Amino acid sequence: MKIDRRHLLLGGAASAAVLPFAKPARAQAKEVVIGVIYPLSGASAQIGVDAQKAFQTAAELINNKYDFDLPLARDEGLPGLGGAKVRLVFADHQADPQKGRAEAERLITQEKVSAIVGTYQSAVAVTVSQICERYQIPFLSADNSSPSLHRRGLKFYFRAAPHDEMFSQAMFDFFDALKKKGKKIETLALFHEDTIFGTDSSNAQLKLAQERGYKVVADIKYRANSPSLTAEVQQLKAADADVLMPSSYTTDAILLIRTMGELGYKAKNIVAQDAGFSEKALYDAVGDKIPGVISRGSFSLDLAAKRPMVGKINDMYKANSGKDFNDYSSRQFMGLIVMADAINRAKSTDGEKIREALVATDMPGEKTIMPWKQVKFDAEGQNTFADPVLLQYVGGKFVTIFPEQAAVAEAIWPMP
Amino acid sequence: MDDAHSKRRLRDLIVAAVLTCIAALVPLFVKDVYVQNIMVLTLMYAALSQAWNILGGYCGQISLGHALYFGLGAYTTVLLFTKFGVLPWFGMLGGGLISAVIAMALGYPTFRLRGHYFVIATIVIAEIGFLLFHNWDWAGAALGIDIPVRGDSWAKFQFTRSKLPYYYFALVFCCVAWLVTWWLENSKWGYWWRAVKDNPEAAESLGVVVFNSKMGAAAVSAFLTAIGGAFYAMFVSYIDPESVMTFQFSLLMALPAVLGGIGTLWGPVLGAVILIPLTELTRSFIGGSGRGVDLILYGTVIVVISLARPEGLIGLFAKRRKEVAR
Repeated sequence: MKIDRRHLLLGGAASAAVLPFAKPARAQAKEVVIGVIYPLSGASAQIGVDAQKAFQTAAELINNKYDFDLPLARDEGLPGLGGAKVRLVFADHQADPQKGRAEAERLITQEKVSAIVGTYQSAVAVTVSQICERYQIPFLSADNSSPSLHRRGLKFYFRAAPHDEMFSQAMFDFFDALKKKGKKIETLALFHEDTIFGTDSSNAQLKLAQERGYKVVADIKYRANSPSLTAEVQQLKAADADVLMPSSYTTDAILLIRTMGELGYKAKNIVAQDAGFSEKALYDAVGDKIPGVISRGSFSLDLAAKRPMVGKINDMYKANSGKDFNDYSSRQFMGLIVMADAINRAKSTDGEKIREALVATDMPGEKTIMPWKQVKFDAEGQNTFADPVLLQYVGGKFVTIFPEQAAVAEAIWPMP
Repeated sequence: MDDAHSKRRLRDLIVAAVLTCIAALVPLFVKDVYVQNIMVLTLMYAALSQAWNILGGYCGQISLGHALYFGLGAYTTVLLFTKFGVLPWFGMLGGGLISAVIAMALGYPTFRLRGHYFVIATIVIAEIGFLLFHNWDWAGAALGIDIPVRGDSWAKFQFTRSKLPYYYFALVFCCVAWLVTWWLENSKWGYWWRAVKDNPEAAESLGVVVFNSKMGAAAVSAFLTAIGGAFYAMFVSYIDPESVMTFQFSLLMALPAVLGGIGTLWGPVLGAVILIPLTELTRSFIGGSGRGVDLILYGTVIVVISLARPEGLIGLFAKRRKEVAR
């Protein structure tokens, strides 16, 4: 047969269209499938790739015996389901709500997942949780921090980690505590990007500042992934507030610090809303310019001193990914543990039964790797006992400075 | 009109009718919602690209700002529905009309621009629209709008699990876009547009009102695009500026037409049928690795097609190359 370009193209297109329909065999009985939806390509692909490693570490702990005081670590698989192993199916949502939705639907109907964990971007969590609600499959939002998410009256939505209002509250509690000690904090400058994360964060901060009597001297919104922040930084410099409070992702945060250096503006203090300020990339690039910067977080390696398993689990993750746990990967790790724990107690893979088990969750903080009091969901599916921490970047690493029960050092204020 | 010409037009119509019948029957055999989802998206992009093709293909005014009309359709429908309880069907038409009017208002200054300058203007205007919605608190700003879904309803065009209503709507939408193109192609407008595309000066000298014909193409194109936006909003039941108004959307609307055959009746359909399943399936089945292989594959296919068939995939079906360039 003569093969010309026409046949080659048509044939290629046809086989590309047909091949993926061949479904994978799922004969193994003793397993529980959990869907994990993250951005695995595009601008935030690195987050997704790190997340994969965090989830794999959690699955490894659940499926094998480890001597940690963490739910399911001491058993092989899920004892409530006769030792069934947890199998993860990863899907890529490319930060697009529509794709997240389609992937959630695919995982539920084709891969028969019992639960879904995700998603990094809050906008994608909106559609993924909607689909989960429609199919009555529990969704655990591991690391989305937008407060609007749990206020939509969804029955199958759960979040073990704190949301932005809780994070911002911790910052203002910290300011109040400093003021009591006689430090001067009167004026704040908010600096936030314009997507869902920055908007939610600054709204919460504005409200808290008003309630607690702090003066906001600058409230600057900028376009995410901006090529230049010169005009914005000039405004910050003119305002020269006691505390600069940025809510920025990594590239913008690096640009902010660089531009501040170029324009000769040294902030008196920086208290950041996580995101870029918890990423290793930022400290590799401009860490020397901002000694003493403070960021909120939901995780702290300092916990390892009190709870040795935190250090050991971190080592497992590090062997896998080459990085320490950060704010995101620790929440992702805990997300899977919380979900698997509920499935284990439900003794079933039925969505409604798992949901009931999640509602009944009561995990003491010591049995997690987080500085939380406990994991217990309120009527809206939010864990209200997830205390955030504030971390200060001192001498090339982070130390916990707030709240007091988790702190290992006094805050250096103002920053050096 | 010569004989061969009307024969070909009749043949096109028959082929379209047969394909529509087949498409209407497919869901009887394909029950998987994931595959149905891909089919819905394919039909939607085929229609959107068909709409883009009217202005970009036939009239030759390359627009990379159609996301603006798409977003306007989506936002009009959702805002009317969530804030005032107006059923999406009316919102859809309202969005279409608003988009058509805005397209003409924007056409007034921009159609004086030519070639690359026009393309840049469309990009910039769409970006302005994006920024406006991104900062408009009443319209949800960056947070977007979540459409509460409470049960199945044709009036509200909401269905919790079933994809079929969306599928059939998309099919009708695709047919309408195709028929409009089919009809316009042979009308006075169609000939004007092709004349304008080939050489505006020559067209003008022969009595074609160049400016008006561009305005007409823009209005029809924007109207249909907005209908697609409204459908997308109800289908996804959540919108934010990032997901309906970004530049990426403008490209996605142009790409099937460009790949399939720009300024042809079947190009957009063919392009969408190949492109959309390819992106969806590669992402789902190899995107989970996190290595970006799916995007490499996607890019390779586009490059290969562009090299092998610069005039578009439609060239594979033409008996004589001339027929393509009709």
